Amino acid sequence: MKDIINNNQSLKWVGKRVQRIDGPKKVTGELKYMTDYHFENMVWGKVLRSKYPYARIKSINTEKAEQLDGVVCVLTHKDIPGFNGFGIVVPDQPVLCSNIVRCTGDAVALVAAETEEIAELAINLIEVDYEPLDPVTDPEKAMTESAPSLHPDGNIHSHVAIKNGDIDQAFAEADIIVENTFYSPRQMHAFIETEGGWGVMDDDGFITIRCPGQYAYRDRMQIARALAYNPERIRVISSPLGGAFGGKDEITVQIYLALLAMNTNGRPVKIHLSREESVIAGIKRHPFKVHMKTAAKKDGTLIANQVRAVADTGAYASLGGAVIALAIEHACGPYKIPNIDLDGYCVYTNNGIAGAFRGFGVNQVCMGIETHMDMIAEKLEIDPIELRKKNVYHQGEVSSVGHVVKSSVGTFKTLETAENCDLWVNREKYKADVSEPWKKRGVALATSFHGIGMGIGLPDYGAATVELLKDGTFLVAVGCEEIGGGNGTAYAQVAAEILNCDINKIQVVQGDTSLTMDSGTVTASRSTYTGGRAVAAAAPNMVNLLRKTAAEILKVLITEVSLAENCLIANDTTLSYESIYQYLYEHHEDTKVEGHFILPKEKTEIEGSGGAPHHLYGYLTHVVMVEVDTLTGETDVLRVVSIPDAGKVINPQGLEGQTEGGAIMGIGYTLYEDVLIENGYHKTRNFTDYIIPTIRETPFIETFPVEDAPEQSGPFGAKGIGEVVMIPIIPAIMSAIYDATGARIKHLPATPERIFNALKEIKKTKIHTSR
Amino acid sequence: MLISEIDVVSPSSLNEALKILDIQGQKAKVIAGGTDAAVRMKEGKWLPEKWVNINGLKELRYIIEKDGAIHIGPLTRHTDIVRSRLLKEKADVLTEASREVGAAQMQNMGTIGGNIGTASPAGDTIPALYVLNAVIEISSLNGKRLIPIEEFFIGPGRTVLKQNEIITNIIIQPQDENEIGIFQKLGPRKAQSISIVNVAISLIMGSDRQCLGGKIAFGSVGPTIIRAKKCESILKLSPLTDEAIQNIAKVAWKEVMPISDVRASAEYRRDMASSLLERGLYRLMRRWENK
Repeated sequence: MKDIINNNQSLKWVGKRVQRIDGPKKVTGELKYMTDYHFENMVWGKVLRSKYPYARIKSINTEKAEQLDGVVCVLTHKDIPGFNGFGIVVPDQPVLCSNIVRCTGDAVALVAAETEEIAELAINLIEVDYEPLDPVTDPEKAMTESAPSLHPDGNIHSHVAIKNGDIDQAFAEADIIVENTFYSPRQMHAFIETEGGWGVMDDDGFITIRCPGQYAYRDRMQIARALAYNPERIRVISSPLGGAFGGKDEITVQIYLALLAMNTNGRPVKIHLSREESVIAGIKRHPFKVHMKTAAKKDGTLIANQVRAVADTGAYASLGGAVIALAIEHACGPYKIPNIDLDGYCVYTNNGIAGAFRGFGVNQVCMGIETHMDMIAEKLEIDPIELRKKNVYHQGEVSSVGHVVKSSVGTFKTLETAENCDLWVNREKYKADVSEPWKKRGVALATSFHGIGMGIGLPDYGAATVELLKDGTFLVAVGCEEIGGGNGTAYAQVAAEILNCDINKIQVVQGDTSLTMDSGTVTASRSTYTGGRAVAAAAPNMVNLLRKTAAEILKVLITEVSLAENCLIANDTTLSYESIYQYLYEHHEDTKVEGHFILPKEKTEIEGSGGAPHHLYGYLTHVVMVEVDTLTGETDVLRVVSIPDAGKVINPQGLEGQTEGGAIMGIGYTLYEDVLIENGYHKTRNFTDYIIPTIRETPFIETFPVEDAPEQSGPFGAKGIGEVVMIPIIPAIMSAIYDATGARIKHLPATPERIFNALKEIKKTKIHTSR
Repeated sequence: MLISEIDVVSPSSLNEALKILDIQGQKAKVIAGGTDAAVRMKEGKWLPEKWVNINGLKELRYIIEKDGAIHIGPLTRHTDIVRSRLLKEKADVLTEASREVGAAQMQNMGTIGGNIGTASPAGDTIPALYVLNAVIEISSLNGKRLIPIEEFFIGPGRTVLKQNEIITNIIIQPQDENEIGIFQKLGPRKAQSISIVNVAISLIMGSDRQCLGGKIAFGSVGPTIIRAKKCESILKLSPLTDEAIQNIAKVAWKEVMPISDVRASAEYRRDMASSLLERGLYRLMRRWENK
């Protein structure tokens, strides 16, 4: 492996613009997503959701629904054979509520029926007698003594804190202090394929669940727990997906499907949420309130940062505890601030459910620290890039949270690249070039980082198999699902590189508990790194098998066999992969090899941090230009420069897919998106009012990867980048709006109305001061 | 009523359609492009026993100029309007408004008659039809009646259209050489959005920037489209210099009475009535000077 990493010139597939192996089928529509399937003899499943955001259930009567023609079964909490709960960390969410409902997404009953319409009718015939209670909707109030306790241990699901140095003394010695409160929106994953899937139980009691997910093996364990069923008798197929972004990390409908499948006499059952139901029941990004106070010396040296972050996790924990922990770990940016005092709270309310989402808490704090960097730079009249360069940590230095960063760090290099990019160098020229006199342009930049893999305390591993098939191709199997990021193509590239074969000889299968080994989640920017590394561990075993077999066939020493392109050669004799397969088959020998990988971890956990630090981080700097219409407050992002440090880039085309998609998702987060909930009820119903960017909001995006920091532990020097691609663009846009207009928006999304009102305030202030 | 139980009839002529409506009474409802009707059906709001599908009636899809007026068939798609040279030359404000309706798919399916019949206060083509003095022809088995567009709407989603009637023609007054129009829309994003505020403007210009008269109609700031008559009356007071434009625009917020909803507050809508008028007049003057 080391030799391959260090000899990049000879690489044939890794680092090349390789077309996505799943691309043609996806763009032509040939690929069927799991929710596209229809089966003969199928029935439809529906979920009865709670009528109230917070209420006591007095009784549930399913009699009328059961009597309706065409209804196959009606299930309530009484029909759950095992544990009535799920949740990745704490299983605090009932599969079907029995006595309390805590949000309008809560499931109360399930129906299977001959048609979707009958299922819907039956759902409406279920009589639930509720005693409505006053919902808890403000996280700050939820934390007080007077608020009703939504869960047995109170409303603070988790509290993390990291403290270093002497914060009070640092503030006393500071030359400049900036202090602000930031509010961030409840972003929706807005995948095209809403939550849904299939369940079927065969005559032998074997259950198959086909349902898009981000970790089939864990989904299977959660299903097994609720069903009190041997997990080996459950198969979960979780790939491919019409999008996930973290929104399918938690259980979505898998357990409902399994419960119904046990009650439909072997008929396959389908559930597919409407967009409206997905908005209500699907998890969202945690809205945060972040109060931040940052201090610096006159020369720009950061000396203190104090943060209090409150995350609204809604009715259930899901990954809320991990989200607030990651937020706090990243709350000081990729800088070395000696005195810090960081507090994070993850709080229960009756506002839907929040959980995993690309960025995982870092988005919400990055907007704080990076805005403060720009405010400090402006007040001290220091160039914002210089200020950042002065304060970033380098490999081997101590980060703000107090650990020595041993893995590669690309921040400085990304800032240098930003400093030299056309948009930054010529920013004054571009800013002057407005299209109409009432429009104003601004250019700004921001930088961020994101941990790769799980934090301390969570086992983190990858596994892959490579199998030689009869037709002379290789089947690469990795548990990690293809959720849109293109990891499967990266796996094929790594395998082709090591096997020295054409990429067309590689097939990839992902996300199927029967066909792939457990390789962990597709989250935490980890699946290219981890899965790729597992393939890089398995492929050499296949090379050995091929050479060993060739030596046997040709009766030569193994050292005499060389791995040539698409074949093996010894003493001028060429052997095809097919002939090697044939030999192994005839001799009843296995044609499949495995590879395993354990992610490197830090040894010591920072006290109170809930899992920090990570061993590895990806880094990225964004430069953006915006144009604000001062008559309306509308903002256009015109140009984006994305400068990632992803280590060695395995596929530049795949990286651009991430940087471009991430930039657009970041634009949506900053300018448009928010799921509005009032008194526990959703005001946002569907995509009519949930505004995501379209091609008309998509700017010109350039990607300049910083590649001189290959990560030794990764496949060919790669590390993860899937999340940080959407993060620094958020404060960069906020600062560019300020650069253009003088308005600082600290409450996202920065809608035209919020920007216009801020401009109105500035005008008023100016009039007052001129008087 | 279940969706699967709804009957669909597709008459082959207007007369047949009117007959079905006459016989079926309240049980039947007209569907054309379906961009609104299908959504409302899914939401459970519109569940008639019978859909009278007039989507294929070619006789109701036309754009022609006749006797000094432009006639637009109600089944004319927004895409047809966007592509029409006649309308681009003589009703540019309608061209621009139609281009802002929903997405390309909706423009291909949605009809102008449907946009009028749906009577949304945020409907994009309606303000344009106001400033083009549109007259709506309505037919039933009993005959035809002509209604000026300003009298056609009763409130949000409500019109003078009776159950047995169909919109059969939209008649607009073509613009003269010295008439120019513009449509301005503010939505939560540039494409595929519902208007927070929109405005259609049509001006008759004299020499330089002197305006001889004009019409201004706002959408999404009241229960129906609102004509800004005070603004209209001061258009002619002085040449439309930048300063004059600002002064006219300021008056606009007094003419509207918007509500707050999930898309915007009433106050912002009011401010935007002024902003869109200002932006629209600026842009119109620039176009006029380049003409």
